[in-house]
Amino acid sequence: MRRHIVLVSIVLSVSALAYATTYLGALGPLGFDTRLLAKLFLVYAYNPGAPELTVMSPEAVTSIVWDFRGVDTLYETVVFYMAIVAALAIYRGIGYSSSGVRGAGLSLIVRVVTKILIPMNVAIAVSIAAHGHLTPGGGFQAGAALAVVSVLLAVVFSALSFGKLGVSLARAVALRSAGLLTIAAVVLAPVAFGVATGIRGFLMQNYVKLDSPLAFPTHVSGQLISGTLIWLNLAEFFAVSFGFFVIFMLLSLREDVVREQLGEEHEH
Amino acid sequence: MDITLLLMAFFSSIGLVFAYLAVVERDLVKAIIFSAVQSSAYAAMLYLLRAPDIVLVYLPVAVGLYPAALLFLVGKTEKEDGE
Repeated sequence: MRRHIVLVSIVLSVSALAYATTYLGALGPLGFDTRLLAKLFLVYAYNPGAPELTVMSPEAVTSIVWDFRGVDTLYETVVFYMAIVAALAIYRGIGYSSSGVRGAGLSLIVRVVTKILIPMNVAIAVSIAAHGHLTPGGGFQAGAALAVVSVLLAVVFSALSFGKLGVSLARAVALRSAGLLTIAAVVLAPVAFGVATGIRGFLMQNYVKLDSPLAFPTHVSGQLISGTLIWLNLAEFFAVSFGFFVIFMLLSLREDVVREQLGEEHEH
Repeated sequence: MDITLLLMAFFSSIGLVFAYLAVVERDLVKAIIFSAVQSSAYAAMLYLLRAPDIVLVYLPVAVGLYPAALLFLVGKTEKEDGE
Protein backbone atom coordinates (compact mmCIF):
# COMPACT_ATOMS: atom_id res chain seq x y z
CA MET A 1 0.00 0.00 0.00
CA ARG A 2 2.78 2.40 1.02
CA ARG A 3 4.70 1.59 -2.18
CA HIS A 4 1.65 2.38 -4.29
CA ILE A 5 1.11 5.75 -2.59
CA VAL A 6 4.77 6.70 -3.12
CA LEU A 7 4.74 5.51 -6.75
CA VAL A 8 1.53 7.32 -7.61
CA SER A 9 2.64 10.59 -5.94
CA ILE A 10 6.03 10.49 -7.73
CA VAL A 11 4.43 9.80 -11.12
CA LEU A 12 1.81 12.53 -10.58
CA SER A 13 4.26 15.20 -9.42
CA VAL A 14 6.79 14.42 -12.17
CA SER A 15 4.07 14.52 -14.85
CA ALA A 16 2.68 17.79 -13.49
CA LEU A 17 6.16 19.38 -13.39
CA ALA A 18 7.04 18.08 -16.86
CA TYR A 19 3.76 19.44 -18.28
CA ALA A 20 4.18 22.82 -16.53
CA THR A 21 7.79 23.33 -17.61
CA THR A 22 7.30 22.28 -21.23
CA TYR A 23 3.78 22.99 -22.54
CA LEU A 24 2.81 25.75 -20.07
CA GLY A 25 6.24 27.47 -20.22
CA ALA A 26 6.43 27.84 -16.43
CA LEU A 27 10.16 28.67 -16.55
CA GLY A 28 9.53 31.78 -18.65
CA PRO A 29 11.09 32.45 -22.02
CA LEU A 30 14.10 30.18 -22.50
CA GLY A 31 16.40 30.99 -25.37
CA PHE A 32 19.85 29.97 -26.47
CA ASP A 33 21.12 33.57 -26.27
CA THR A 34 23.12 34.62 -23.22
CA ARG A 35 20.98 36.94 -21.10
CA LEU A 36 21.94 40.57 -20.56
CA LEU A 37 22.62 40.08 -16.84
CA ALA A 38 24.98 37.17 -17.54
CA LYS A 39 26.72 39.20 -20.26
CA LEU A 40 27.34 42.05 -17.79
CA PHE A 41 28.96 39.68 -15.27
CA LEU A 42 31.07 38.05 -17.98
CA VAL A 43 32.23 41.43 -19.29
CA TYR A 44 33.12 42.89 -15.90
CA ALA A 45 34.50 39.83 -14.03
CA TYR A 46 37.95 40.34 -15.53
CA ASN A 47 38.22 43.71 -17.27
CA PRO A 48 41.31 45.87 -16.60
CA GLY A 49 39.80 48.39 -19.03
CA ALA A 50 37.00 49.19 -16.55
CA PRO A 51 38.92 49.22 -13.25
CA GLU A 52 36.13 50.70 -11.12
CA LEU A 53 33.68 47.95 -12.14
CA THR A 54 35.83 44.83 -12.45
CA VAL A 55 36.71 42.15 -9.90
CA MET A 56 39.94 41.20 -11.73
CA SER A 57 39.06 37.49 -11.65
CA PRO A 58 38.36 35.41 -14.78
CA GLU A 59 36.08 33.12 -12.73
CA ALA A 60 32.68 34.77 -13.00
CA VAL A 61 31.05 32.65 -10.26
CA THR A 62 33.68 33.45 -7.63
CA SER A 63 33.55 37.10 -8.73
CA ILE A 64 29.82 37.14 -8.04
CA VAL A 65 30.09 35.12 -4.82
CA TRP A 66 32.87 37.15 -3.15
CA ASP A 67 32.53 40.58 -4.74
CA PHE A 68 29.40 41.47 -6.73
CA ARG A 69 27.26 39.92 -3.95
CA GLY A 70 30.00 39.48 -1.38
CA VAL A 71 27.90 40.51 1.64
CA ASP A 72 25.44 37.66 0.92
CA THR A 73 28.31 35.18 1.10
CA LEU A 74 29.56 36.83 4.28
CA TYR A 75 26.18 36.26 5.93
CA GLU A 76 26.02 32.68 4.62
CA THR A 77 29.36 32.10 6.32
CA VAL A 78 27.91 33.57 9.52
CA VAL A 79 24.90 31.23 9.27
CA PHE A 80 27.22 28.23 8.97
CA TYR A 81 29.23 29.58 11.91
CA MET A 82 26.06 29.79 14.01
CA ALA A 83 25.12 26.21 13.07
CA ILE A 84 28.47 24.97 14.39
CA VAL A 85 27.99 27.08 17.53
CA ALA A 86 24.60 25.37 18.01
CA ALA A 87 26.22 21.92 17.68
CA LEU A 88 28.89 22.88 20.21
CA ALA A 89 26.17 24.18 22.54
CA ILE A 90 24.25 20.88 22.39
CA TYR A 91 27.43 18.93 23.19
CA ARG A 92 28.59 21.48 25.77
CA GLY A 93 30.83 20.24 28.53
CA ILE A 94 31.48 16.89 26.90
CA GLY A 95 35.13 15.98 26.90
CA TYR A 96 36.38 14.48 23.65
CA SER A 97 38.33 11.59 25.11
CA SER A 98 39.32 8.20 23.76
CA SER A 99 36.84 6.50 26.12
CA GLY A 100 33.94 8.13 24.27
CA VAL A 101 34.61 6.59 20.88
CA ARG A 102 34.47 3.20 19.22
CA GLY A 103 37.99 1.98 18.53
CA ALA A 104 37.43 -0.64 15.86
CA GLY A 105 37.65 0.91 12.39
CA LEU A 106 37.42 -1.09 9.16
CA SER A 107 39.55 -3.85 7.59
CA LEU A 108 43.21 -3.54 6.54
CA ILE A 109 42.37 -3.30 2.81
CA VAL A 110 40.04 -0.36 3.36
CA ARG A 111 42.58 1.32 5.63
CA VAL A 112 45.43 1.06 3.10
CA VAL A 113 43.25 2.35 0.22
CA THR A 114 42.05 5.23 2.41
CA LYS A 115 45.64 6.06 3.40
CA ILE A 116 46.41 6.52 -0.31
CA LEU A 117 43.22 8.50 -0.93
CA ILE A 118 43.50 10.99 1.96
CA PRO A 119 46.63 12.86 0.69
CA MET A 120 44.99 13.10 -2.76
CA ASN A 121 41.85 14.45 -1.12
CA VAL A 122 43.82 17.08 0.81
CA ALA A 123 45.75 18.10 -2.33
CA ILE A 124 42.56 18.48 -4.37
CA ALA A 125 40.90 20.50 -1.60
CA VAL A 126 43.85 22.90 -1.32
CA SER A 127 43.97 23.25 -5.11
CA ILE A 128 40.23 24.00 -5.32
CA ALA A 129 40.65 26.72 -2.66
CA ALA A 130 43.87 28.27 -4.00
CA HIS A 131 42.61 28.30 -7.63
CA GLY A 132 39.11 29.40 -6.68
CA HIS A 133 39.57 32.77 -8.41
CA LEU A 134 40.81 31.13 -11.66
CA THR A 135 38.87 27.89 -12.11
CA PRO A 136 35.50 26.57 -10.87
CA GLY A 137 35.59 26.11 -7.12
CA GLY A 138 36.30 28.25 -4.10
CA GLY A 139 36.40 28.23 -0.33
CA PHE A 140 33.17 26.37 0.38
CA GLN A 141 33.76 23.71 -2.29
CA ALA A 142 37.27 23.12 -1.00
CA GLY A 143 36.04 23.02 2.60
CA ALA A 144 33.41 20.40 1.73
CA ALA A 145 36.09 18.35 -0.08
CA LEU A 146 38.43 18.44 2.92
CA ALA A 147 35.57 17.68 5.31
CA VAL A 148 35.25 14.28 3.61
CA VAL A 149 38.63 13.47 5.19
CA SER A 150 37.08 13.85 8.64
CA VAL A 151 34.37 11.35 7.67
CA LEU A 152 36.94 8.90 6.31
CA LEU A 153 39.02 9.20 9.48
CA ALA A 154 36.02 8.66 11.75
CA VAL A 155 34.56 5.73 9.79
CA VAL A 156 37.63 3.91 8.42
CA PHE A 157 40.20 4.46 11.19
CA SER A 158 37.73 5.06 14.06
CA ALA A 159 37.36 8.37 15.85
CA LEU A 160 40.54 7.64 17.81
CA SER A 161 42.56 8.62 14.72
CA PHE A 162 41.73 12.32 15.24
CA GLY A 163 43.81 12.28 18.41
CA LYS A 164 46.65 10.36 16.70
CA LEU A 165 46.83 13.00 13.95
CA GLY A 166 46.84 15.80 16.51
CA VAL A 167 43.40 17.11 15.56
CA SER A 168 41.64 17.86 18.83
CA LEU A 169 38.22 19.45 19.17
CA ALA A 170 39.75 22.65 20.59
CA ARG A 171 42.26 22.82 17.73
CA ALA A 172 39.55 22.34 15.09
CA VAL A 173 37.46 25.10 16.69
CA ALA A 174 40.56 27.35 16.80
CA LEU A 175 41.38 26.76 13.11
CA ARG A 176 37.78 27.43 12.13
CA SER A 177 37.82 30.66 14.17
CA ALA A 178 41.14 31.66 12.55
CA GLY A 179 39.46 31.31 9.14
CA LEU A 180 36.54 33.47 10.25
CA LEU A 181 38.85 36.11 11.77
CA THR A 182 40.80 36.25 8.51
CA ILE A 183 37.55 36.85 6.61
CA ALA A 184 36.68 39.64 9.06
CA ALA A 185 40.15 41.15 8.68
CA VAL A 186 39.92 41.15 4.87
CA VAL A 187 36.43 42.67 5.03
CA LEU A 188 37.47 45.43 7.45
CA ALA A 189 40.97 46.12 6.06
CA PRO A 190 39.98 48.78 3.45
CA VAL A 191 37.94 50.70 6.06
CA ALA A 192 40.74 50.51 8.63
CA PHE A 193 43.31 51.56 6.04
CA GLY A 194 40.99 54.40 4.97
CA VAL A 195 40.56 55.64 8.54
CA ALA A 196 44.33 55.51 9.13
CA THR A 197 45.27 57.36 5.93
CA GLY A 198 42.24 59.60 5.41
CA ILE A 199 41.39 57.94 2.05
CA ARG A 200 37.82 56.68 1.61
CA GLY A 201 37.58 52.89 1.81
CA PHE A 202 34.56 50.56 1.76
CA LEU A 203 33.72 47.30 3.55
CA MET A 204 34.74 44.28 1.42
CA GLN A 205 36.34 46.58 -1.14
CA ASN A 206 38.36 44.52 -3.59
CA TYR A 207 39.51 46.85 -6.35
CA VAL A 208 39.41 50.59 -7.05
CA LYS A 209 36.03 52.35 -7.07
CA LEU A 210 35.02 55.65 -8.68
CA ASP A 211 35.45 57.52 -5.37
CA SER A 212 38.10 55.34 -3.73
CA PRO A 213 41.57 54.50 -5.05
CA LEU A 214 42.15 51.64 -2.56
CA ALA A 215 42.78 48.18 -4.02
CA PHE A 216 44.13 44.85 -2.83
CA PRO A 217 47.13 43.68 -4.88
CA THR A 218 45.83 41.75 -7.92
CA HIS A 219 49.14 40.16 -8.90
CA VAL A 220 51.97 38.63 -6.88
CA SER A 221 55.18 38.13 -8.91
CA GLY A 222 53.21 37.98 -12.13
CA GLN A 223 50.56 35.55 -10.84
CA LEU A 224 46.95 36.73 -10.79
CA ILE A 225 45.56 36.50 -7.25
CA SER A 226 42.51 38.72 -7.84
CA GLY A 227 42.78 40.95 -4.77
CA THR A 228 40.57 39.83 -1.90
CA LEU A 229 39.27 36.68 -3.62
CA ILE A 230 42.22 34.38 -2.91
CA TRP A 231 42.34 35.43 0.78
CA LEU A 232 38.60 35.05 1.25
CA ASN A 233 38.64 31.65 -0.49
CA LEU A 234 41.52 30.36 1.65
CA ALA A 235 39.95 31.70 4.86
CA GLU A 236 36.54 30.22 3.96
CA PHE A 237 38.29 26.92 3.21
CA PHE A 238 39.59 26.79 6.80
CA ALA A 239 36.31 27.99 8.32
CA VAL A 240 34.16 25.45 6.44
CA SER A 241 36.46 22.41 6.56
CA PHE A 242 37.21 22.66 10.26
CA GLY A 243 33.58 23.53 10.98
CA PHE A 244 32.69 20.16 9.43
CA PHE A 245 35.56 18.53 11.36
CA VAL A 246 33.96 19.79 14.60
CA ILE A 247 30.55 18.41 13.58
CA PHE A 248 31.84 14.96 12.64
CA MET A 249 34.11 14.70 15.68
CA LEU A 250 31.06 15.39 17.89
CA LEU A 251 28.83 13.00 15.90
CA SER A 252 31.38 10.19 16.15
CA LEU A 253 31.12 10.21 19.95
CA ARG A 254 29.23 7.24 21.35
CA GLU A 255 25.65 8.09 22.20
CA ASP A 256 25.67 6.33 25.60
CA VAL A 257 28.80 8.25 26.68
CA VAL A 258 27.23 11.55 25.54
CA ARG A 259 24.02 10.81 27.44
CA GLU A 260 25.96 9.79 30.52
CA GLN A 261 27.94 13.05 30.52
CA LEU A 262 24.91 15.23 29.79
CA GLY A 263 23.25 13.09 32.44
CA GLU A 264 20.54 14.56 34.58
CA GLU A 265 19.89 17.53 32.33
CA HIS A 266 18.22 15.30 29.73
CA GLU A 267 16.09 13.40 32.21
CA HIS A 268 14.11 16.40 33.40
CA MET B 1 19.50 14.29 -31.03
CA ASP B 2 21.59 16.21 -28.55
CA ILE B 3 23.73 13.84 -26.46
CA THR B 4 23.49 16.24 -23.49
CA LEU B 5 19.71 15.93 -23.40
CA LEU B 6 19.92 12.13 -23.65
CA LEU B 7 22.37 12.01 -20.74
CA MET B 8 20.15 14.40 -18.76
CA ALA B 9 17.19 12.09 -19.33
CA PHE B 10 19.29 9.07 -18.30
CA PHE B 11 20.57 10.62 -15.06
CA SER B 12 17.22 12.13 -14.10
CA SER B 13 15.60 8.69 -14.55
CA ILE B 14 18.25 7.14 -12.30
CA GLY B 15 17.59 9.91 -9.76
CA LEU B 16 13.86 9.25 -9.90
CA VAL B 17 14.19 5.47 -9.46
CA PHE B 18 16.56 5.81 -6.52
CA ALA B 19 14.41 8.52 -4.92
CA TYR B 20 11.52 6.01 -5.03
CA LEU B 21 13.71 3.24 -3.59
CA ALA B 22 14.96 5.56 -0.80
CA VAL B 23 11.40 6.39 0.24
CA VAL B 24 10.02 2.84 0.26
CA GLU B 25 13.08 1.11 1.78
CA ARG B 26 12.52 0.14 5.44
CA ASP B 27 16.21 -0.45 6.24
CA LEU B 28 17.47 3.09 6.89
CA VAL B 29 21.10 2.30 5.99
CA LYS B 30 20.03 1.06 2.55
CA ALA B 31 17.72 4.07 2.16
CA ILE B 32 20.67 6.43 2.82
CA ILE B 33 22.75 4.67 0.15
CA PHE B 34 19.87 4.90 -2.37
CA SER B 35 19.56 8.58 -1.52
CA ALA B 36 23.30 9.09 -2.08
CA VAL B 37 23.02 7.42 -5.53
CA GLN B 38 20.14 9.76 -6.36
CA SER B 39 22.26 12.76 -5.29
CA SER B 40 25.17 11.54 -7.42
CA ALA B 41 22.87 11.39 -10.46
CA TYR B 42 21.85 14.98 -9.73
CA ALA B 43 25.54 15.97 -9.48
CA ALA B 44 26.05 14.54 -12.98
CA MET B 45 23.04 16.55 -14.19
CA LEU B 46 24.46 19.75 -12.70
CA TYR B 47 27.69 19.07 -14.59
CA LEU B 48 25.72 18.63 -17.82
CA LEU B 49 23.95 21.93 -17.07
CA ARG B 50 27.44 23.53 -17.03
CA ALA B 51 27.48 24.41 -13.34
CA PRO B 52 30.91 23.01 -12.29
CA ASP B 53 31.00 25.23 -9.19
CA ILE B 54 27.87 23.55 -7.88
CA VAL B 55 29.16 20.08 -8.84
CA LEU B 56 32.30 20.64 -6.77
CA VAL B 57 30.28 21.34 -3.64
CA TYR B 58 27.41 18.93 -4.40
CA LEU B 59 29.63 15.88 -4.93
CA PRO B 60 31.43 15.84 -1.55
CA VAL B 61 28.20 16.73 0.22
CA ALA B 62 26.09 14.15 -1.64
CA VAL B 63 28.55 11.25 -1.54
CA GLY B 64 30.48 11.98 1.66
CA LEU B 65 29.05 14.37 4.20
CA TYR B 66 25.30 13.87 3.89
CA PRO B 67 25.29 10.03 4.01
CA ALA B 68 27.89 10.14 6.80
CA ALA B 69 25.86 12.55 8.93
CA LEU B 70 22.73 10.43 8.42
CA LEU B 71 24.59 7.17 9.13
CA PHE B 72 25.90 8.60 12.41
CA LEU B 73 22.34 9.60 13.31
CA VAL B 74 20.96 6.16 12.37
CA GLY B 75 23.69 4.65 14.54
CA LYS B 76 22.40 6.73 17.44
CA THR B 77 18.74 5.77 16.91
CA GLU B 78 17.03 2.82 15.19
CA LYS B 79 18.03 0.85 12.11
CA GLU B 80 14.46 0.25 10.92
CA ASP B 81 11.86 2.77 9.89
CA GLY B 82 8.86 2.58 12.25
CA GLU B 83 5.28 3.33 11.30
